[in-house]
Order: sequence, then C-alpha cells, then structure tokens
Amino acid sequence: MNLERMPNEEKLSLCRRYYLGGFAFLPFLWLVNVLWFFKEAFLKPAYTEQPQIKSYIKKSAMGLILWVAVLTTWITIFQHFRARWGEVGDYLSFTIPLGTA
Amino acid sequence: KNCVSGGPAPDENSSMSRVMCVSAAAGVLSSSVEQKIYVELNETVPCVRLLNATHQIGCQSSISGDTGVLHVLETESDLDWILSSGPHPPYMVIMETAFFNRSVMMRMKNSSRVAGVAVIVSKTGLADNFSPHTTCPNQNTGVYSASYGSDLANCNVTMWNPLGNGLSYEDFAFPVFALKDENQTQVIRKCYQDHNLRVNGSAPQYPLCAMQLFSHMHAATDTVTCMRRTDLQNRFSINPEVLCDPLSDFNVWTSTRPLNNSAKGHAANESVVIAATRLDGRSFFWEQAPSAEGTVSGIVTLLATIQALSPVTQEAPPPRNIFFSFFQGEAFDYIGSSKMVYDMERNDFVIDLNNVHSMLEIGQVGLRRGRSLWMHSDPVSRQNKSVDTESAAAGLNLTVDQPSVSQPLPPSSFQRFLRVRGIPGLVLADHNTSFNNRYYESLYDDAENLNVTYPPDLSPDEQLVYETDAAKSLAEVATLVARSLYIQAGGEKKNLNNITADPKIWFLHQHVSDCVRLLWFLGSGPPQFYIGLGPRIHGPVHSVTRFVQYILANLTGTVTNLTESQCQNPSEVNTENKDLFSYFWVSGPASVNNTGEPFCRSASVRLSKAVSPAFELLEYGSPNYSIIPQSRWKSIRARIFPMLTLGVGVAVLLLSLLVTYFISSKAELLFSSARETPATTY
Repeated sequence: MNLERMPNEEKLSLCRRYYLGGFAFLPFLWLVNVLWFFKEAFLKPAYTEQPQIKSYIKKSAMGLILWVAVLTTWITIFQHFRARWGEVGDYLSFTIPLGTA
Repeated sequence: KNCVSGGPAPDENSSMSRVMCVSAAAGVLSSSVEQKIYVELNETVPCVRLLNATHQIGCQSSISGDTGVLHVLETESDLDWILSSGPHPPYMVIMETAFFNRSVMMRMKNSSRVAGVAVIVSKTGLADNFSPHTTCPNQNTGVYSASYGSDLANCNVTMWNPLGNGLSYEDFAFPVFALKDENQTQVIRKCYQDHNLRVNGSAPQYPLCAMQLFSHMHAATDTVTCMRRTDLQNRFSINPEVLCDPLSDFNVWTSTRPLNNSAKGHAANESVVIAATRLDGRSFFWEQAPSAEGTVSGIVTLLATIQALSPVTQEAPPPRNIFFSFFQGEAFDYIGSSKMVYDMERNDFVIDLNNVHSMLEIGQVGLRRGRSLWMHSDPVSRQNKSVDTESAAAGLNLTVDQPSVSQPLPPSSFQRFLRVRGIPGLVLADHNTSFNNRYYESLYDDAENLNVTYPPDLSPDEQLVYETDAAKSLAEVATLVARSLYIQAGGEKKNLNNITADPKIWFLHQHVSDCVRLLWFLGSGPPQFYIGLGPRIHGPVHSVTRFVQYILANLTGTVTNLTESQCQNPSEVNTENKDLFSYFWVSGPASVNNTGEPFCRSASVRLSKAVSPAFELLEYGSPNYSIIPQSRWKSIRARIFPMLTLGVGVAVLLLSLLVTYFISSKAELLFSSARETPATTY
C-alpha cells in the first residue's frame, strides 16, 4: 500500500484502525503505526487531518514503550530466576532447556 | 559425469546444468571432506549423569560438544600448563592413569580452562588403590539410622571403604571419557606429538590438534525435577522428550523345592532360608563394571553352592525350603532387595516375611587373607547362634570368625530385610573391618584383582576348565555356605560330607561352557555388571541376568521331552506345571560331530522385577528407597581434528566472498558462449 496515493481521510482512518487494533494486546500494530505514519505526521507539510494523525502516533508510541518496558522486565526476570523457581518455573515454561537447571 | 553432454548446451540451460553438476560433485565429495578433517574415536566410554533426591552426579557436556586443544597429562608441569600457564585454553586433557585421582579431578573441576578429560585406562601407572565410590556405601538406605543403632550409622564404627574417593558422586560440568583401546590412544598421542608439543619451553603454534567430546545429558538438578519435566513433556508436548529413566532390571531367584508362582502372599507351611548375593556393580563410567571381587565372587560362590546342594536336596530333602536370590541394583541404594522386600510386605510375592526363617548373605569373598572368613551380624537384633557355621566348617580349609561385638553389618541386602523385620541372619565376607577390595566399584576390579592367573601355556579351552587358586578358594567358601544352609534348613548332619562344591564351577558344566564362551566373548571382553535400564529401553533382559538365569536352569532343572511349541505353552501339557516351573528352549551341548539338538528344560528359576518401589509409588523424593534414574542423551561420540585459528577461517570466508563478487561482476565475460544471444529482459 502506497500512502502517497491515498487521500488524507483514508490515511486518517487507517491510522485510527491500527491505533485501536493495538489495544487488543497487539503492540506490533502500534510499532507499525509509528514507523509507517511517522513521515506523514511529522515531516510532511501540514494538512487538515495531520494533527489527529499526530496524536494517534504519539499515543501509539507511548503504548509501545510501555509494552516494551513490561515485556523486557518480565523476560529478564523469568530468564534469570526460572531455574530457582523450581516447580513454578517448569509449569510456566513452554519449552524447558534440556540438561540444565 | 551425468552432466557431460554431446555438444555445447543451449544458453538457457547452461548455467542450470553447471549448477547441478557442481552440486552433484559436491554431494559426492562432501562426506570425504569430513573424513579428511575428523577422526572418529569409536572405542570410548563416557561418564553419564545420574540423579538422586537432591543432587546430580556424573558428567555433562555442552549440547554441541566440548572442544579443546589436546594436552597429555603426564607430569606435574603438564598440570600447571593446563591449569594456568598454557596459552590456548580451553584444553582437552588426555589423562594418564596415574593422574586419575581425586585431587587432580577436583582441580580440573574448579578450573575454567578444562574443556573435558579423556582418561587412558591401563594398568601401567595404576595406583595401589582406586575406588571412586563413597567411603560409606549406601549409608542412607541401610538399616542403621537415627532410630536404629544410631551410634552405628554413617560408618561411625567402621569405615567400610576407606580408600573411596567419592569421584563417582561428584558433578562435573565437562565430559569425561575413558579410552580403552590402546591403538586408538596411540592415534591420539601421535596427533599430540606431531602438533601440540612444546618446543624448548615455547608454546606450540597453530594448527593444533584438538578433540571434541559429545555427551549432552538431558536430565538436570535432581530426580523430582527430572520426573516432573518428563511428565510435563508427556502430557503437553507434541513430540515428548524423555529426560531420564529409572534404573531397572530383574532379580533372579530359585528354590530347592518349587514355589507356586501364581499364589502370592503367605505360602502355607513354608519356612524358608534365604541365601542371597548381589548381581551388579558400577564404576565411574557408563556400563563399565567388571566387579570381580565385588560381585562375581559372590555370584560364582552362590552358583557353586546351588550346584553342591542340588543332589542332596533331592535325596534327603531338609524340612525347610532354601530360597536362593541374586539381587540386581544393589550398588544404587539396594534397588533389587528393596523391591523384593516391598513386594513381600504387600503380599505380592510368592512368599512373605512370615515365611522367612533366616538369611545368609554372601558378600565379597574373593580376597581371603589366609584361611579366615568372617561372619558379620547385626549387633542390635543379634540372636544367639543365628546360623550354625561351626559344624559346617569342620573339615574344611577355612576358619570362620566373628568380628567384634559392636560392629555393624557391612553394606548388604540383608540390611533391607532387617529394616522391616528382625530376621536372624549373617553376611559372610573376606574382610573383618574394612573391605579387602582396593578397587571397589571401579574399572580395575577385574580378574587380576582376584589373582586369577593361568599358567602361560594354556589354550582358551584349557583355561576354561583349569582350576585356579581363586576358583579353589571360592569353592571352599561355597562348600561352607552349602553345608551351613543345609543345617540351617534342618537337614541332618550326617549328610554334610556329601556336600562339596566343585572348583570347576568357575566355568561350570561342560554343557554350558559353549553358552558361557558365547556370552563371554560376545561383547568385547568380560561381562559388565551395570544394572542398565531394563527391557523397555534396552531390548531383552540384560545379558548378565540372562546368563545367571540360564546357568541356574542348567544346574537345577531337568530335561523334558517337550517340543518347541509345547515348551512355549506348557499349560497345554498335562504333566507340566507352569506355576511351579519355567520352561526354557535351549540348544544342546555341542560336540565334534553334532551341533547340539535343542530341547526343553524345566527349572524353578524365575525373574522378579527389580525397580525401586519409589518409582511405582511415584515418591520421587523418598528417603527410604533408591531414587536414582539415569539421564537420557541423544548422541555420545568423540573425535579429533586439527584446529586452525578463527582468523584463518574468517580470512577464508572474506576471500571467498571477494572471489564470488568478482566472478559475478564479470559473469558476462567469463561465461558467454560463442553465439550471440538475443538480450531478453524479464
């Protein structure tokens, strides 16, 4: 899909759909939203729909950063402490590495 | 060759066919490239991982093998080179026999510069003693504990295996292999001398000879964790991985009067004297357990006893039954005997504990000093004259002595029976306090340890029937045991002189000697007595268990004239009783002019399952039973190869990328054909 050839209203509605979709535990939609529409929102000359696209991009970015923080923290804790948690660690794991604690 | 065609190929096909030609050639050549680089070492034995309730023991390698530069450990300066001063860590240590001891191995364990160890197994340089087992074998699963003879527990009174260094119970994070084949060791030494030797004190240069050992074990931490993870895998995974397997095999038992195998629980009007010994051993390495003094001495003595008793018990049967049992898995916290006692308690065995009158166990009896044999009994439950050995010993070249009054029982299956019921009993052994065996549960407890030597000019057939001193000594012990058992079973003393064990029992009946020879030489070398993993995983019953079962059938059974199909389904025949006997279809004795007609033999020899009750009760942390599983693994192998630095590899990669770029940019010049091709664009 080439954003160049889309009318502005369609751009806005696409941006909004990606923003709303990200609330369904889909942070990658927000990531795509930010990367795709960044040029549109901040680097193009102003047009009527741009302030709304800007706000969606900003909110998507905040959501994305929050998700990244939470996931990084949880993954770090899990990787570090899984062996020490014993039974709980094993029940939480999908794949348990062979031969190590 | 299949891409050579008659003339120049048309252009559209030329590059394609060239690609196919190259890849076909590559397919043919690639296997020999691997062979040019790697030399596979086939005659190696790994050390594997075992678990218990709280620890993991044994060795582990990385999942893609551990690689290190070879270094042969022959002197102390080599040890310093490996551990601190050598410039090419990590090192793969080729350890001469003299250095395989606790201090060196613990230094290796604590160093980060050791990638693995390969131990040369030979008799040159072997220390005076080497026992990788603990100093107090099976201390937590015997009868002595805080509540029973607490001052006797944990070897407070007598250290049974003082020469034990406990290496088998340490956890190593690198692979340890044993090199048993002298020719292969020579190959490794040659590689080391050609490339890795220090010249005038300066470090050797690349390319160096390196070795890679693969022995990645699946299990980790302890038994509870391993069984839990196996369980999770079996329930939730699409492709379940089993992490560990319980050690399991079979006990072999027989009796002088047949017992009804289908009637479990208390046997009416049966009073039984149990004669027991162990059937297994272990060492530091997997499936290696020659265990001559530790196990074979007991097995052979009990077999000779059974043979000595069989004529008398037919002619003048004693009032009590004599039950002979070979327990498997005793090295690992009494697997076989704890299972039999457990079955007896739950009325799941042909007899129960109320049927047991007394017990006589044969411990290590091969290394007697002088004439003495020692009768060990339990000081806590000791009853007067539990087994009468004096009249049995009359006229024999043995004296039977009792150790001091307050000494506990040595590690023995009898302790498991005492845990449950105070049965009178004895353990016979050649040692008074500590073991005479200086190589207890190690690779070096072999025939030489038992002083089995032949005159140099005998052929193997003659050796098979030669009466060595060791055989004569064991035959005396067997005669004593047989006579004691006969008296204990209530037999009359006037028949005692007819009970004599034959020293040729060492290689048994002539009819069986072919079978023995087959088993003896079927594997490479003498039979190994490690318990293994049982029929589910290892195929049919372990060879040693089978060996003892068939020898017993030969010694105590009778020939029948059933056909093969009748032998396999004896319930169809009226005269035969499947409950009292088991039927074996065996080949007959081989002689010069006939190959031996097969026939059916019936004997009251049975196998009973030997797996720790903890695995049936699913109590994987149980302190009362053995909970030692063996880890699983995917592949175990070893190989050596010349190693180049990373720099060379990177340089080759960059060079090849450059060449590829150059060729592809000049492709039109290099690969154009004579004819002009029309330029087509896609």
